[in-house]
Amino acid sequence: MEDVLTQLAAGFVGVFSPANFAALAVGLVVGLLIALLPGLTLVMGVVLALPFTYRMDVTSAVILLTAMYVSGTYAGAWTSILFRVPGEPIDVPLLWDGYAMARKGQAAQALGWTLVAALVGGLVAATAMVVLSQPIAKVALTLSTPEYFAIIFFGLASVVSLGGASLANALISLFLGLLIATVGVDDTYGAHRFTFGVPLLADGIDYLIVMVGAYGLGEVFTRLERGFRSAPLQSVGAARTRLPALKEILALKGTFARSSLLGLLIGIVPGAGATVASFLSYGAEAQYGRRRREMGEGIPEGIVAPQAAATSSVGGAMIPLMTMGIPGSGATAIILGAFLLHGLQPGPQVFQTSSHIVYTIFASVFVAVIGMCVIGYFAVRAMVRVLEFPEAIISAYVVMCCILGAFAARNNITDVWLLVVFGVLGYLAERYRFPVSPLVLGAILGPLAESTFMTTMISFGNDWTVFFTRPVAGVVMALSLVTLAVPLLRHLLHRRKITPR
Amino acid sequence: MRDAARLKRLLPYAVVAAGAGCLYYAASGIRYAERAGVLGPDFWPKAILALMLVVCAWQVAAALVSGRAGEASGVLDELIEESAARRGGAAPEPAEESHPWRLVGGMALSALYVWAVTRLGFFTATVLYLAAFVVLGGYRRWGVVAAVSVIGALLLLFFFMKVVYVSLPLGQEPFLQVTLALMKLMGIR
Repeated sequence: MEDVLTQLAAGFVGVFSPANFAALAVGLVVGLLIALLPGLTLVMGVVLALPFTYRMDVTSAVILLTAMYVSGTYAGAWTSILFRVPGEPIDVPLLWDGYAMARKGQAAQALGWTLVAALVGGLVAATAMVVLSQPIAKVALTLSTPEYFAIIFFGLASVVSLGGASLANALISLFLGLLIATVGVDDTYGAHRFTFGVPLLADGIDYLIVMVGAYGLGEVFTRLERGFRSAPLQSVGAARTRLPALKEILALKGTFARSSLLGLLIGIVPGAGATVASFLSYGAEAQYGRRRREMGEGIPEGIVAPQAAATSSVGGAMIPLMTMGIPGSGATAIILGAFLLHGLQPGPQVFQTSSHIVYTIFASVFVAVIGMCVIGYFAVRAMVRVLEFPEAIISAYVVMCCILGAFAARNNITDVWLLVVFGVLGYLAERYRFPVSPLVLGAILGPLAESTFMTTMISFGNDWTVFFTRPVAGVVMALSLVTLAVPLLRHLLHRRKITPR
Repeated sequence: MRDAARLKRLLPYAVVAAGAGCLYYAASGIRYAERAGVLGPDFWPKAILALMLVVCAWQVAAALVSGRAGEASGVLDELIEESAARRGGAAPEPAEESHPWRLVGGMALSALYVWAVTRLGFFTATVLYLAAFVVLGGYRRWGVVAAVSVIGALLLLFFFMKVVYVSLPLGQEPFLQVTLALMKLMGIR
């Protein structure tokens, strides 16, 4: 533990170096602005920022993206509370009590509770991330390919089970993502798969192109079809923050603890993320909280529960990324991309070979959480004005960032053509209710899933039962199957309810 | 009428299944040097495609038999919908509008940009694209449109060529001269 604290202290020194601190500040401001803007999501913001980090060193690049990820879970609450316009699904539970408080003339107090919840949730998760990462990394070093495959399978199963209007569509979307990941020259045999004679396809399709196309361009196309029309906003003149007293905060210590821990745990689960954390935490508070009957009427518990969990999930999501190199969410996948672009593979080894980078990034999460709250406290009114910007102009720049991101990755125009293809695919997916997240996660985790599966098959003589007979792999595979079965069981139960014998 | 609805439901799955079938055929033609007792590079994509075909077949059959595709939905979607129904959702959006021509225009414009950028060069193509996209998006203050497209293209050119060292397309004559002149002006080598 002493070693961890020493490294963390050195990490704090690293965060305050001019380059890292500038990256952190820019990441926080841009993350807050993106969370505010309608049509721009947290993941999309991190995707669009990636090309701007190509020339940075790995620590600054990851600090910038992580700061955006952290602050992206916070600012959307402002529009939920002030205008009843959630920036993205994470912020929906915040409007139930936040907007109700604002209507009672307590908007400043509601914003204050949001700030404190984000601060506490963020710091609790950052602390847990530091404490848990090294032990988990040590355990990860002992795992073999069947266990790794099982963990990846669990991530894919949970993203299918969680998202989408239809389980079948989510599965098809996932298979498509896994298939995209197979394009190119196979590592083991050097065989060409689905390259159709196109030389660039031999290098494979970069998952970043899939992400930028499906999340960025696809979303812009969807909103363009709707004419870039958002809900009308009231005046922003009243936007200010009033912090609750320490006594009031202490009275809610149970809610803070429950929500932060729940957010942390949900963040660790691959495939789940801030949105799930926010909804489940609100649900838990509404079911088990001391003032559960008053939830929805404008009480601080209804703000603290979703906000603390959403911000806390960031620290949780960083744990599997840093300790096993497995990104569990869209934003952590981009952060993994930033690592790989700079030639560094996150995973258990990185704690031994580049621990100074790891702990500087960990320290930056603490500073980012505090920094975003400071910026939020002083600049809420100024930042909310970004909503007055015409969406057509913002979207034009979003598309340009998508194009530049795709081009700059390999300096090849074919990648930009692929981007447009995935943009159209992203739009069609949205139109026909095929969720995009499984497609993207399939494209990201596909190569790792295939390599761990094939290596296991080679090592264990094509015996697939090994995934179920080894203790750790077996437990994780069983969990995965349960995760996949949940939506089906819910569907069957629901059908029984509406068609009684 | 019912048949039309049924067809509409099963069509996406039939299209995906047809595509998966073609790709399965393509995967069967993957050439490699076989090794005894080791799965080939075609195994993984074929397994994925087979699973995809099973899901599509299930959906098509469900649509044909019961007139509706399988309805089991993701837990998160149900959670959001149930919670929003119980507690009320966001502020009502303005009446749902659909602008299919804008969408087609946006897609065509993006494809045209990719085609044009190597010919006109990054700066010229970007100025035209930004202006056209903003206008297509329904914004009509011409002074602002001109300013955001020209200033935006200049800033992006400067940042990516001077700071990030990305070699953006210079274009062909006579547009090449425009890009080179701007680069000289900005001190980009």
